[in-house]
Amino acid sequence: MARSVEQLTGALGERAYLADRGLATVITVALSLRKPLLLEGEAGVGKTECAKALADVLGARLIRLQCYEGIDVAHAVYDWNYARQMLYIRTLEASHAAGPDAVKDVFGPDFLVRRPLLDAIDHDDPTPPVLLIDEVDRADDEFEAFLLELLSDFQVTIPEIGTIRARERPVVILTSNRTRDLHDALKRRCLYHWIGYPATEREIEIVRARVPEAPERLAAEASAFVASLRHLDVAKAPGIAETLDWVAALLSLGEDELHPEVADATLGTVLKYHEDLERVRDHGVERLVADSRRSAGAVARGG
Amino acid sequence: MSAVAVPADAGERVLRRVAGFGRVLRARGLEVGPRRVQDALEALGAVDVTSREESYWALRCTLVSHHEDIEVFDAAFAAFWEKAGAGEDGALEAPAPRPPDPEAPTAPGDAPARAGVRREAVHAAEPGGDEDGPEDGDTAEGMAWSAVERLRELDFAEYTDDELREARRLLARVARAVPLRRSRRLEAAPSGPMLDKRRTMRSAMRTEGTPVLRLARRRRLVPRKVVFVVDVSGSMGPYARAMVMFLQAAVAGGRRVEAFTFGTRLTRVTRHLDSRDPDRALRAAAQAVPDWAGGTRIGDNIKALNDRWGRRGLTRGAVVVIVSDGWERGDVDLLGREMRALRRTAHTILWVNPLAGEPGYQPLAQGMAAALPHLDLLLEGHNLHSLEALARVLEALPSERGRRAGRAVVRG
Repeated sequence: MARSVEQLTGALGERAYLADRGLATVITVALSLRKPLLLEGEAGVGKTECAKALADVLGARLIRLQCYEGIDVAHAVYDWNYARQMLYIRTLEASHAAGPDAVKDVFGPDFLVRRPLLDAIDHDDPTPPVLLIDEVDRADDEFEAFLLELLSDFQVTIPEIGTIRARERPVVILTSNRTRDLHDALKRRCLYHWIGYPATEREIEIVRARVPEAPERLAAEASAFVASLRHLDVAKAPGIAETLDWVAALLSLGEDELHPEVADATLGTVLKYHEDLERVRDHGVERLVADSRRSAGAVARGG
Repeated sequence: MSAVAVPADAGERVLRRVAGFGRVLRARGLEVGPRRVQDALEALGAVDVTSREESYWALRCTLVSHHEDIEVFDAAFAAFWEKAGAGEDGALEAPAPRPPDPEAPTAPGDAPARAGVRREAVHAAEPGGDEDGPEDGDTAEGMAWSAVERLRELDFAEYTDDELREARRLLARVARAVPLRRSRRLEAAPSGPMLDKRRTMRSAMRTEGTPVLRLARRRRLVPRKVVFVVDVSGSMGPYARAMVMFLQAAVAGGRRVEAFTFGTRLTRVTRHLDSRDPDRALRAAAQAVPDWAGGTRIGDNIKALNDRWGRRGLTRGAVVVIVSDGWERGDVDLLGREMRALRRTAHTILWVNPLAGEPGYQPLAQGMAAALPHLDLLLEGHNLHSLEALARVLEALPSERGRRAGRAVVRG
């Protein structure tokens, strides 16, 4: 699995995921140390995408566990198919076939509902899967404590079946939007990387890679516009995901450059709060568009 | 540039340098234990160490685990590796190592234990396992009952340093009050709206597969997040000390408490206060707060809370407790606007005002008047007695949705 940072950057780039040197280095380290990687950053900077692209590069299956408040072992690891168990027992009874093995059958693999974490541990993929534990900050303390255990031993115990240990550890990526601090103990298990907003030039490259049909000019102007919004003291700064949505929206309207009226009409794809829209309109969409076109021109001339 | 240029056979030297760098980071407040240093060494082995950039990232992803620490790391990295890059090991002398930190990392078993403490804290009445704080019975230890009573009623502004120290134990008990909310997580219950399929099925095994007992689950009660925002500006001087002690006790109680202080600017002190040793916690917090006894711009600070923390969900569904005398030196309209914004995300907003303890108090300070329409309750907070009232209010907050209508001044 040893590969250099350049190779990884290139391979991710082929999948339209443009990782900067920092992220590529950290992923290289995580693969080499076989440690989970915790990615933190504002919403929409490409944390989840990173795991998807990495799975593709490695030729591995992506197993995603979306965390939410109240998630527990039955949702994350395994559960039993109770309705099926009940039916099976009834059928056995009706045919007077219930023998001593019936209980073993009922709590056997046929009736086990495998959830993402069990899937990631108990795999027989040729390449270990990539396990994405998404938005881990939404889960609660108990679940975090459970994850901590899982990430140190890579094994799960199902009382009725026994302990299942990972033949080969999955590659684990955790993401957090930092709605709360994670336990230090969990953080200690992981490598840590903060993904910030990209520089405008890089964002243009990302737009060009993800929305290839967008003309360069539109990509540059939209990226410059979004970058200026991030500096404009809005409550919810737009992420890369918003830039991509916006460019796609503008394209679908047949735009190939930024015009104030259309920008204003589609601003809702970028700003999701009424107050933010008002603030930007007060500031003047026309002025922002003009500035963006000017700076996009400068970027184009510069490189 | 290759600041971390290392000959292939210089393993020992790299180890010493990385360990030295770890000490530097520890001295600046990062949690860097031997295990992290080990990880850092391995990480360096996985990248091209002749590249300054790759070395930087390999060290950063192993030695830093908080976004707030990145700035400190960057400064230390520049000072330690780059200044010393050309020189020899002698130039890398790190500051003297500090005494071993009892809460230093490495023990892998300590997280479940911490989670356990948290769970325990939900039931404040239960005997606390390894809590080394005061237990319910011994708050008056070493103090005569009458002295306790006197402290209760004494205005914080009139406390001597000794009295403040004595009051700490009482504060710690008050700070355990916690509002509850219904979690999405389910717990087993004798009866309830949801069928517990797993337990029902298990018990059915005992009755030959017939589910005789129907077992239920219900949504569990968990502590609601409490966000304290404490004014430490000049006009709050006499009260700020006691309030920060109160904060420390609340944070160290291990529940979901976030702590901020503000004067001219907002500082998050949760992590600094989260130590079992109150003196150490208070020292750490005092260092982190740049504006003790400065002026106040409450509106700007509430805005910072909304913009920097609220948008990531820190105040969502939380009980926000603002402790301030309401003397706004900034824009009063801004304060009103930001309080309205805060109210949209918070579950409840309480305002504790030490001045409200004065007989005949009217919320006349401009800031206070602007904030008042957006509050659920205005409480006094000049002595222990009134903080006990705050504790009662916190505990009585409803676990379900729905707002309290009252905006009265609650007296202790």
